[in-house]
Amino acid sequence: MSEATSAARKPVAWDGLRKAWAISSKDMKIYYFQPAVLMFGLMFPVAIFFAFMMGRDIEAVTLFPGLIALTLFFSTTTVAPFSVPWEKMNRTFERLLFAPVSMFDAVLGKVMSAFIFGFVICLFPLAIGLIFFGSTIGDWAALILAIVLGNLCMATMGMLISTVKADTPPKVMMVLNFVRLPLMFISGIFVPIQTLPLYGRILAWFSPVSYVVDLLRSGLGFPNYWDMWVCVLMLIAFTVVMFVASVLRMKAWNR
Amino acid sequence: MMNNSIEVKELTKYFGELLAVDHVSFDVEAGEIFGFLGPNGAGKTTTMRMLTNLTRPSEGSASILGMDTVRDSLAIKAVVGIVPEASNVFFELTTMANLTFTGALYGLRRKKRAARADELIALFGLDEYRDKKSVELSLGFRRRLTIAMSLMHGPRVVFLDEPTSGLDVESSRLIRGIIQDLHKDGVTVFITTHNMEEANQLCHRIAVINASRLIAIDTPERLKQAATKSQSVEVSFDRMLESGEEAGLSGLPCVIEMRSLGDKYHLVTSDPPCVLAAIPSFMSERGLKPVSINTFGPSLEDVFVQLTATDKEAS
Repeated sequence: MSEATSAARKPVAWDGLRKAWAISSKDMKIYYFQPAVLMFGLMFPVAIFFAFMMGRDIEAVTLFPGLIALTLFFSTTTVAPFSVPWEKMNRTFERLLFAPVSMFDAVLGKVMSAFIFGFVICLFPLAIGLIFFGSTIGDWAALILAIVLGNLCMATMGMLISTVKADTPPKVMMVLNFVRLPLMFISGIFVPIQTLPLYGRILAWFSPVSYVVDLLRSGLGFPNYWDMWVCVLMLIAFTVVMFVASVLRMKAWNR
Repeated sequence: MMNNSIEVKELTKYFGELLAVDHVSFDVEAGEIFGFLGPNGAGKTTTMRMLTNLTRPSEGSASILGMDTVRDSLAIKAVVGIVPEASNVFFELTTMANLTFTGALYGLRRKKRAARADELIALFGLDEYRDKKSVELSLGFRRRLTIAMSLMHGPRVVFLDEPTSGLDVESSRLIRGIIQDLHKDGVTVFITTHNMEEANQLCHRIAVINASRLIAIDTPERLKQAATKSQSVEVSFDRMLESGEEAGLSGLPCVIEMRSLGDKYHLVTSDPPCVLAAIPSFMSERGLKPVSINTFGPSLEDVFVQLTATDKEAS
């Protein structure tokens, strides 16, 4: 049986998934250890966290949901905003457009590589909290949902930001930080949402990071602000909207 | 049986107010090597990008192997190979990894990807660089790899944008040889270039685009016949001519223009025998002896210059 016949008998979704995985694997090889990705995705959140914690009379264990959320947020949103403009600049993104790869699969591939990066990275602060600082798991379901849905949503956010009209990674990184830094303060990373002023609590609804933090707080046995299903639904909604917007914006390049 | 691999009808592209391609129509036969010539900015690359659906046409349509370039974009990409002007390989990946990644994008199975990659590495003389990152490759080898990547899936139509631009002689010859082999295998090849000699050597037919419009389309030899005024006689004497003698040479019957090229004199004419008949008496009157005398038909470059100049005057 020829390759073409065999491919024709396979479901289209499976074929697309294989191509998306090829894109992810390539991104993992190329971008995971790029200095810019490690600096903005790993060192930056740790530095911000310590800048907030040092010299304050706060029990370290209470800050771990925030640290994990911050690491997840920064690491996952860094990959696509680096890789997409890098490939646009070197014209290697065109390689994906030359091939029979739908824009949906191209975006999925980019999102998957960011998801895996963030997933692995955010396990480190979680393990450090559990092993060295006495963090405990209060709700496994909330913790798993926070890590899985949170990473997926943040990976999609990074993808959407990478579609801005800019042709070099530094320009996209500037836009990325312009979005990330304000979100950090309205999402309950450092201060629980319930203790934010009224305007902060209203703004928190508009940040997907808020729901990740809230799920992580539940997961690590701290009081939460929203019910778990609200966080899950909001993260799914943000993910779907940002994914569709990314595909549409990428398609617009083609016109 | 379908005779045309590519059919283009009234293809037009606007970038805002700028008209980049103006109602271009042509067909490319199956298995043909088709050249698309034009000066920089004429619309060559934009036309190629529309044919490969990297850019949407503003008006008109095109089909490849009977499939519409916009509607059946993914199906077309599965059977088409594209070589852009810039060698866009992944610098961070090895030669092998670039090829296998490309194979994966076309849905080739792991074993087949590896086998095909090895085959192309041998064909393009990349064995030494198989496991080296592409950033270490020279311009010529990067170009070879770019073309090899476009052939991973065994395409039936290949688009090449300036395939040998800026390359050394060895790489250029190798690439031209591979293009001719593709033709022997029945692959349709569409080349955009401004290298006249390359188009002359490789292409069965040539289309000339200037200022967004298609101004000529024919075989290289027929196009040359249209430029009979651009024939020439090149003569070299045993000594350089003095200025008065040069004036005498340029005043010979049937000479349209004379150019001094090193130790030779290039006499442009529409009637080479007429010039050849006049040269012996010119030499005997001045005591000159010939070192060499050659006649040349019009080059494709002459045709191109003539066509684009005529088009410019007309517009």
